[in-house]
Amino acid sequence: MQKLITGFVLAVAAIFAGSAVYAIGLQIAKDQFLQSLTNFDISVEQAMLVAENAIAECKKDNSVISVAVVDRDGLVRFLLRGDGATPELADNARRKAYTARTFNQATSLWMERTALDAVDANGKAIDLNGQQYLENTIAEKGGFPIVYHGGAIGGVGVTGSKGGGERDEACAKAGAQSIADQLL
Amino acid sequence: MFRTSHILTAAAAAAVLLAATPQSFAQGQGLTSAQAMAAIRAVQAYAKKDGSDPSTVVLDRDGNIVLMLKGNNASPHNIGLAERKAFTANMFKMKSIEWRDATKPGTARANERQTPKAIPLGGGVPIMVGNEVIGAVGVSGTRGGQEGDTAGAQAGADAAAAAVQRLQAQANN
Repeated sequence: MQKLITGFVLAVAAIFAGSAVYAIGLQIAKDQFLQSLTNFDISVEQAMLVAENAIAECKKDNSVISVAVVDRDGLVRFLLRGDGATPELADNARRKAYTARTFNQATSLWMERTALDAVDANGKAIDLNGQQYLENTIAEKGGFPIVYHGGAIGGVGVTGSKGGGERDEACAKAGAQSIADQLL
Repeated sequence: MFRTSHILTAAAAAAVLLAATPQSFAQGQGLTSAQAMAAIRAVQAYAKKDGSDPSTVVLDRDGNIVLMLKGNNASPHNIGLAERKAFTANMFKMKSIEWRDATKPGTARANERQTPKAIPLGGGVPIMVGNEVIGAVGVSGTRGGQEGDTAGAQAGADAAAAAVQRLQAQANN
């Protein structure tokens, strides 16, 4: 009788222990395969800082610029149309920011890479000119990526400076680099 | 004598008309990017107190975007909605929440709700300088629903109007 009760208790304990192990295993599997995706993205505060520093850089030669900052999805986080700028000009700033974000490089570099006659280090034709036909991109200098751990989490684009594309890009770069120390 | 004075009056009136009508410019107070920045800072300050993360759009009197800012965790509809609220306030020259109440279905003005881009939801506030509407602020995504969005947008519109008035005061001095 004593043996029978002990056996029964052991069996019940084994069932509980087994189901507990199973539940924990299930949880581990869940944690491993079903956790939600977390991404870093450029915040409102960072975007405003980037824009303000781009504007400050362009103020040095009294340029009135339009600035756009896009997030990691390429959507507008911040957009400011400069005094006297048309909506189309402001939209070009957005397209510069988008291009820099999506190709993770300054638009001037992307333009060189996607030029009709672009060649790689070995002199072989790259032939990526088709990228310039993508929607929302623009082959103009003045876009700069905002990079975190090697990946672009946003982009900044500038139009309307007095120095043309070169200065647009210098201002965009100054904006992006103003938060670079936060993104190390 | 009587006839001469008539002719003179007519001539004077014609001269006034000629001088005034074809040569006067259409002129109105504009909205600068600096004033729009003042608005956005006020909305962000409101949001900080509120503990919320709104999206904001500032439009000029033509309904074109001067400034837009998307909240950190904005829902996909927020930024477009903020623009439509601002559009509504700018177009009908009143808070969009007032326009919502003035155009209830079944009332005489209900057909105004068919206006493309306008939306009967609170959160759009016109930027008033005196009696003139020079643009509008639209906010979407504060804690207080349509009333909260309206309060946030009001803070922004007031800040922009104050910035305009500072400029005007400077010009008059």
